[in-house]
Amino acid sequence: MADKDGAEPVTASTNNPLSRKLNKILETRLDNDKDMLEALKALSTFFTENSLRSRRNLRSDIEKRSLAINEEFLTAFQAVKEQLDSVYSDVQAMNECCLDMTSRLKAAKAKTHHLISQTTSLHHESQRLQVKEQVANAFLDKFQLKQDEMKSLRGSKDGTLHVDFFKALARVKQIHSDCKFLLRTNHQTAGLEIMESMALHQESAYERLYRWTQNQCRLVTQDTPDVSPMLCQAVEALQDRPVLLKYSLDEFGKARRSSVVRGFIDALTRGGPGGTPRPIELHSHDPLRYVGDMLAWLHQASASEKEYLQSLLKGCTASNIQMDEVLGNITEGVCTPFKVRVEQVLVSEQDPVTLYKLDNLLKFYHHTIGQIVNTEAALLSTVAEIQDLSHRMFFNSLTGHANRLLDKVELPPSDLGPTSSLTQTLQLLRDVLACHDASVVPIDDKKQDYKQILACVIDPLLQMCSMSASRLSAIDMAAYMVNCIHLMNTTLALYEFTDTRLEMLNAQTDAHVDTLISEQASYILNRVGLAQMYGAIQQHQTGQGPLSSLPGLDELAIKSAVNKFDSYLAQPDSLTLPQCSLILGVTVRETAKKRSVELVCEAYKQIFNAILDPENGYKDGKSIVPRTPDQVTHLLN
Amino acid sequence: MAAGPYNYSYIFKYIIIGDMGVGKSCLLHQFTEKKFMADCPHTIGVEFGTRIIEVASQKIKLQIWDTAGQERFRAVTRSYYRGAAGALMVYDITRRSTYNHLSSWLTDARNLTNPNTVIFLIGNKCDLDAQRDVTYEEAKQFAEENGLMFLECSAKTGENVEDAFLDTAKKIYQNIQDGSLDLNAAESGVQHKPATPRNPITTDQPPNKENCSC
Repeated sequence: MADKDGAEPVTASTNNPLSRKLNKILETRLDNDKDMLEALKALSTFFTENSLRSRRNLRSDIEKRSLAINEEFLTAFQAVKEQLDSVYSDVQAMNECCLDMTSRLKAAKAKTHHLISQTTSLHHESQRLQVKEQVANAFLDKFQLKQDEMKSLRGSKDGTLHVDFFKALARVKQIHSDCKFLLRTNHQTAGLEIMESMALHQESAYERLYRWTQNQCRLVTQDTPDVSPMLCQAVEALQDRPVLLKYSLDEFGKARRSSVVRGFIDALTRGGPGGTPRPIELHSHDPLRYVGDMLAWLHQASASEKEYLQSLLKGCTASNIQMDEVLGNITEGVCTPFKVRVEQVLVSEQDPVTLYKLDNLLKFYHHTIGQIVNTEAALLSTVAEIQDLSHRMFFNSLTGHANRLLDKVELPPSDLGPTSSLTQTLQLLRDVLACHDASVVPIDDKKQDYKQILACVIDPLLQMCSMSASRLSAIDMAAYMVNCIHLMNTTLALYEFTDTRLEMLNAQTDAHVDTLISEQASYILNRVGLAQMYGAIQQHQTGQGPLSSLPGLDELAIKSAVNKFDSYLAQPDSLTLPQCSLILGVTVRETAKKRSVELVCEAYKQIFNAILDPENGYKDGKSIVPRTPDQVTHLLN
Repeated sequence: MAAGPYNYSYIFKYIIIGDMGVGKSCLLHQFTEKKFMADCPHTIGVEFGTRIIEVASQKIKLQIWDTAGQERFRAVTRSYYRGAAGALMVYDITRRSTYNHLSSWLTDARNLTNPNTVIFLIGNKCDLDAQRDVTYEEAKQFAEENGLMFLECSAKTGENVEDAFLDTAKKIYQNIQDGSLDLNAAESGVQHKPATPRNPITTDQPPNKENCSC
């Protein structure tokens, strides 16, 4: 470059072509020029002979060579070009193809775009629908009956119930009640419709159930009814329809009632297998056994019926009242056959003891059966009615007996003892009262009964005794009455609840004993001759002067009387009234004796005191009445 | 539900008899409630209890009538023998008098029940062995002589109580199968529930008309 810069000022010289050429040559550095080196190397390959000719030809040779090479090039490139052309055409075709495809795709895309969006929306729709379907299925599961449920609910034509009926019925009920949730939400229409259809199902199902139950109930007429679990379930299900349940139970009661009646009649007339145990009616001659067997049978039957009923109603709640009612119906049928028979027994029975036993037996069973059936049951009121009848019959019989006593009053026997009718009646009373010991009725009833029985027997007896004694002397009557009352007393004393009666009888005895005592005492005083003096002394007043001046009260008279009294003292029993010794009761007899002696002693004491009283003018009182009252009392006791 | 306690094939009626205070009610209580009832009051007339047992895989309902032992109730209790399939005759091993009265109870039982009634002799209170007044052998002999079944029991401890009731039922059941007990007859003390299949019985004896509901 420095050369170039240095050569510029000398422009003239450079303008000369030769110089320029020369310069150029000179400047050429051959070893650095690779092209030159290459060229020369290439030249050396074919320029092997350095001759003029060759030098002259060199140019053409080179040109020739160059031409050949170019031709070679040309042919080579010709092939390449052809190849490229074909590639080009291929690519061109491809491009066209691609363009075509692109356009087609574009077209397709344009076309399918709608479809895709449709598909997507359909897909969404389908998903939505699936969810809906699930919901709907769940809804149906919850709110609709399944096919087989419907089937079991409808049942078969012959009226039999399928075992699943109750499950289906429970489902219907459940759905019906679930509808209330629906009604609370926005699905009121659905709720109402389902509710309506379930209500229809329910109604027809209950109708069917009722028919079936009714039929089943009609069949329970065996001795031991077959209360199947299905029937129990049916009754349990019918609880929701109280009226239907009631009708069904009525049907059950009707069937059982006829069965009980049949069983009762069989027990009465046919007895057990081969006649053992013997039919109850075979004992109809023995009223107690006859009636007792019937009552025991009824007791057992009602207990069994109650069990069957309990097993039927075991699934039901709070059905006690209803159960009692049905049980009352069941046991109602036997009332008439039972009543007729017992009434016959009662009416034909005369013996008060048997009647009373029957009365107590009926009372006992009224209580016992009352533990099984309720008070409204006809059976219980029948027993009560019959018991009332027996009670009346018993008292009628007792009163009749008493009336007969009064119709035919016996005269008292000579020993003033009780008459045979009295002893017989008292024996009857004993027998009647003894029934109570063997009976089973509550104490209150017993007390009431005793009062009534005693009134029925003792009062007429007393009346009878007074009537039979009416013609006797006062002493005889007193002794007789004491004896009669004594007998009643000892009879009654053995039993409870007789205290007031005993008290009354004792008072009567006392009155009669008092009569006897005074009679006895005056008898003694009369017999020894002291009676007159005793009377005079008692009536004497001081103004009348000394006693000794009164007639009959002189020393002699008194002395002789006191002597007699002495002999009485030696043998006190000699002056006992015969009536007093006829008194049966030892205590009463002793009391009478003791108290009459007391009276005598008292009289003697007054006489003694009067005589010793100096005012009365007896000279030697001590010699007139040698014994002091104490001595007398001592001797007589 | 289907196998509820009320499903049974037969009802057997029992009666319990014996002197006062031998423990009849306690035996019943022990059997039905599986408990000992101390201070048991005197039975008034009759009372009854039930329990369902199983014999030969048949459910049987026992309806047991417990009678009062007091003499004054004798007239009442006699009416309950009627229709008993089993009679349990109880005495107290510590009181000889209750044993001595057995023959009178037995006479009643034989006269008032049907010939097939199974009579089972029970010597109660065997827990009081120290106070024993009646030997086992003696009672056993009495039972054999009279064709009775026999066990000593204790209502207090429950010993043998179950067996006495069950053995009686087994014997009755056996009688049914032998055909010696006719189910047709009313008051046999056995009632059959016709709803259940009853193959084993029909093979022996034809009690086939009981199903008819008149």
